[in-house]
Amino acid sequence: MDFSFSTITHNLPYLLAAARWTLIISFAGMLVGLGLGILVCAARLSRHRWLSSFAALYVSFFRGVPLLVQLLAFFYILPYAGIDLPATVAAFLSIGMCSAAYNAEILRGSLQAIPAGQKEAADALGIAPFALWRRILVPQALRIGLPSHVNELILLVKVSSLASVVGIGELTRVAQNITGQTYRPLEIYLAAACVYFVINAILAYAGRMAERRLNVGGA
Amino acid sequence: MPDTATSAESIITVRGLGKRYGDFQALTGVDLDVRKSEVTCLIGPSGSGKSTLLRCMNFLEAYEEGEVRLDGELIGWQEGSSGPRRPLPGRRLREQRRHIGMVFQQFNLWPHMSALENVAEALVQVQGMTKAEANGRAMAALEKVNLKDKAGNYPSALSGGQQQRVAIARAIAMEPRVILFDEPTSALDPELVGEVLNVMKAMATEGMTMVVVTHEMGFAAHVASRVAFLDHGRLVACVPPPEIFGADPADPRIRSFLQTYRERNVV
Amino acid sequence: MELDLFVRYGPALLHGFGITILCWIAGSLGGMALGFLIACIYQWSGRWIRGLLQAYIEIVRGTPFMIQLFILYYGGPHFGLLLSPVEAGIAGFVVYGSPYFAEIFRAGFASTPKGQFEAARCMGFSEWTIVRRIVLPQMLVSITAPLTNFVIILTKETAILSVVTVPELLYETQTMAAETFTYVEPFLVLSLFYWAMVEFTSWLGRRVELRVTRHLRRA
Repeated sequence: MDFSFSTITHNLPYLLAAARWTLIISFAGMLVGLGLGILVCAARLSRHRWLSSFAALYVSFFRGVPLLVQLLAFFYILPYAGIDLPATVAAFLSIGMCSAAYNAEILRGSLQAIPAGQKEAADALGIAPFALWRRILVPQALRIGLPSHVNELILLVKVSSLASVVGIGELTRVAQNITGQTYRPLEIYLAAACVYFVINAILAYAGRMAERRLNVGGA
Repeated sequence: MPDTATSAESIITVRGLGKRYGDFQALTGVDLDVRKSEVTCLIGPSGSGKSTLLRCMNFLEAYEEGEVRLDGELIGWQEGSSGPRRPLPGRRLREQRRHIGMVFQQFNLWPHMSALENVAEALVQVQGMTKAEANGRAMAALEKVNLKDKAGNYPSALSGGQQQRVAIARAIAMEPRVILFDEPTSALDPELVGEVLNVMKAMATEGMTMVVVTHEMGFAAHVASRVAFLDHGRLVACVPPPEIFGADPADPRIRSFLQTYRERNVV
Repeated sequence: MELDLFVRYGPALLHGFGITILCWIAGSLGGMALGFLIACIYQWSGRWIRGLLQAYIEIVRGTPFMIQLFILYYGGPHFGLLLSPVEAGIAGFVVYGSPYFAEIFRAGFASTPKGQFEAARCMGFSEWTIVRRIVLPQMLVSITAPLTNFVIILTKETAILSVVTVPELLYETQTMAAETFTYVEPFLVLSLFYWAMVEFTSWLGRRVELRVTRHLRRA
């Protein structure tokens, strides 16, 4: 077995450039996932039965179907429905839709941790339900659920590799392309794995710092 | 001062025992003899090292200095030449521990086994008995602690006092040469303390060798053959109870320790 | 909708489903075994080995499954590891799942009170007997839920095996779609199928969980 470090050093700039797309897809996916997740969570907790059933169905479906299958189906359905989107946008929309299901459940758990007295206090002050959600409940829930949301983001960085299957030039795809030219899969994929690992380690560290900061501020 | 009796009749001999946790010196130069068929009580203020001393006797705590011997056999370390001591291989240590029973403050019964199973488990797993033999022996042990009728109960269905008596039966069933008690009544509600102490008293009468860390001064005064007083990791005295609980104990540290009990009318 | 498609490709799809199930079960069992081994070694070893195991856990959890598969399947031959796609898929599952399983078992070990170990050690139990007779039976209650949970997650991950040409369900569906130029229906049906499968395994998991805990509660 010969291990070629020069292959790695030579191709690392390309991998790092591709990692930018990995980050874009996962962060954009997270934004979509959080925004949509808040809506799904609100629907899930709604008093309207059909709305909450729909949200429950949404969560069950998007958590039950492999993301790769969701991604492929989304990419085939879009042109069928006559919608023309850039591939990258389609990718993070699809990832975001799936992530919304998870984020909604995390939020629901966090909301349950907020003492009921706060809602009563807001009611007593005559605060409208929407304002109660926007100003009081959601900010607190996001704070309580921060570790889980960071976990979800790390998960998205990993699943963004699936976007390679639909041809988006993110880290995994570019690693595949380089492998095709160099015939050095071991070195290149190990290097790609390192890049993923470093990204996730940084995210995990940032998450812990943010958590500590919020705890200090909250206490 | 340290007991100087001949070690011929002693089961456990402790010599120059030292133990530290980081910067904290838990035990310093402890010498102690536990004699056959006697009850030795270890008393002293909290943090004085009595539990640590007890836990060194079966090597639950690895002591660094000095030695603990059971019938002349060094506990936990390999006997031998100078240089750093090497710990005994696991199998040898397990062999030694079979002869030293232990009863814990928190009972440490296994919650997924009935009282009978708790007592019989080690007989099967460690002593290699058949299930029938083990159950017979376990039943006899439970009878000794007056819990024959609770044999099928799980720990969660027993009171604290009953749980501790099962734990005692578990130790007895192994037929150890000595049983160590680590504050056996400290976790119990006051009204349950008596039933456990009574079982221990009966064991003492039958000639079981026991080492008991306790805050029950009444038990120490009336049941113990010798009482060892520890303070700041040192053995201050190891004497018959009257010399400690008598009118005027010699050492000021013992006097001030007992004072706190006298104030509460315990002794 | 061209239903006769599914009839025509029925045998292939069925075969793909079989491969999916095979990889899922073999991978789950293997991952569980490796995870248990890691947790055991972790429990009874010193700082250095613990550090090494921790690093393994962090690295595997911090990198995408797809990259791990590529390293095994395409990189493997470079260090003398020649695997068929199915073998690589199962091996990948074992590696990918092991750290998650290890963490579950480790938490199980940690949940057994220290005093129970001490009591057993005092009586001369060997460490293996302690695990077998004291720790595992109690742990069973607390680890069944996370264990079944993760096994269910693995059902979905089987789809990723298609990228290293494991002829599982997604792969066969893609073949069918490419050969017949029909994309939308197959992927919608496939989504529903996976959804049903995950819901079914979840239901099965809850049954197992109830069974295990009920037995111990009654006892």
